[in-house]
Amino acid sequence: MSAEIRVPIEHERDIVTARQRGRELAAANGFSSTDQTLVALAISEIARNIVSYAKRGEVMLLALEETGRRGIVVIARDEGPGIADPELAMKDGYSTAKSLGVGLPGAKRVMDEFKLETQLGKGTTVTMKKWVR
Amino acid sequence: MTVSDRQRSLQSSMHDMGLTEEAIERRKRIVGLEPADLGRIAAVKDVVARGAEEFMATFFEFLSKLDEARPLVTSHGLLDRARQLKKAHLAAMVQGEYGTRYVEQRLELAQLYARAGLEMLVFLGAFHHLLRAIGSAIMKQFERSPMEGFENFMSLQKVAFFDIGIIVDVLVMERERTIRQQEEAIRELSTPVLQVRDRMLLLPIIGVIDTHRARLITESLLRAIRANRAKVVVMDVTGVATIDSKVANHLLQTVTAARLMGALVIVTGLSSEVAQSLVALGIELSKINTVGDLQGGLEEAERVLGYRLLRNGDALPPPTMTEN
Repeated sequence: MSAEIRVPIEHERDIVTARQRGRELAAANGFSSTDQTLVALAISEIARNIVSYAKRGEVMLLALEETGRRGIVVIARDEGPGIADPELAMKDGYSTAKSLGVGLPGAKRVMDEFKLETQLGKGTTVTMKKWVR
Repeated sequence: MTVSDRQRSLQSSMHDMGLTEEAIERRKRIVGLEPADLGRIAAVKDVVARGAEEFMATFFEFLSKLDEARPLVTSHGLLDRARQLKKAHLAAMVQGEYGTRYVEQRLELAQLYARAGLEMLVFLGAFHHLLRAIGSAIMKQFERSPMEGFENFMSLQKVAFFDIGIIVDVLVMERERTIRQQEEAIRELSTPVLQVRDRMLLLPIIGVIDTHRARLITESLLRAIRANRAKVVVMDVTGVATIDSKVANHLLQTVTAARLMGALVIVTGLSSEVAQSLVALGIELSKINTVGDLQGGLEEAERVLGYRLLRNGDALPPPTMTEN
């Protein structure tokens, strides 16, 4: 398995770096141009959440290969305040920060697998996978 | 800059570079500088002190012969200060104290090199010549016990590499800072609002939109709408690869604000990827007028303003009623 890519997230420019790396990795693993954009979009949304809510964290990107299919996994970790109501946070249009409130649900929609783990006061980890179609 | 100002700015640089006492100790461990070295360095203290003037001359003579170092050697202010600091460096190198104070001095000299635009390669060349001069003097002193002289010199060399580590870090950091400033400048320049016709503006957006740039775009557009009494704005996003929810929100707000000022915004050039992203995010864009490409957008804008485009020689068609 290829080496993981880690992008520390603290400033807005790190969001751009993370999604560019994600797009490159997706391109290198045979994703279509549209899917590269969707992967970049999902990374952008969750990295943006780190900057907005947790101040700093990390996005890890990894190429996947299992039972004959290829894909990538994106893991975003932070040690921020955590999410009080994860179910509500996954609802369209819900936001505590006057944004559109489509980031988390949107990211979930464009990826194939999506897992949100969060603990109040401890932080949040989002794991998402997308397979080559 | 007064002495205390300089001191304060050095302290903040130390902080920015993470040069805490622990970090300094770690750097010493990496170059292998141990207590045993201090004795050997003390043994060459006199040789280095005696030759200090000569060693310093070697360093600056090397630089004066290079075109790349011209900004440093031709600016008397910088050169005088560099000589002063280099002399202090040579004295401090053999004192056996390599703590915060010593690192601050290295930092000050490194920042001066950075200001003079000294390249790393050029600095390393000059520093190599300086070390060779010191090495020769030490070997001469220990003519009868060359092994001892060599060991002493090697201990001093650890200090030299400790110094190089700091200088290289400062030069790299300064370069990164310059790059960041240039990026900033490009961003500021890259949101032109162009007048295409009377009361019609074109806003081409190219590259990465972050929140800072989105705000700039909004501001400059609204200002231009007021200044040009614009009625129609064509916002072209052909050159934007990714639009995430935050950026989409900014664009929506810009369009709404423009409408409040009486201008209609036509968005053109949404790529299929970006269109799919926006749909996937579930962003409501029905309030926005979109036209496939820039040409179509400009034609639509002209139609809204009541312009008709005629080829030279074409017969003038009968006037039609326009919406305005």
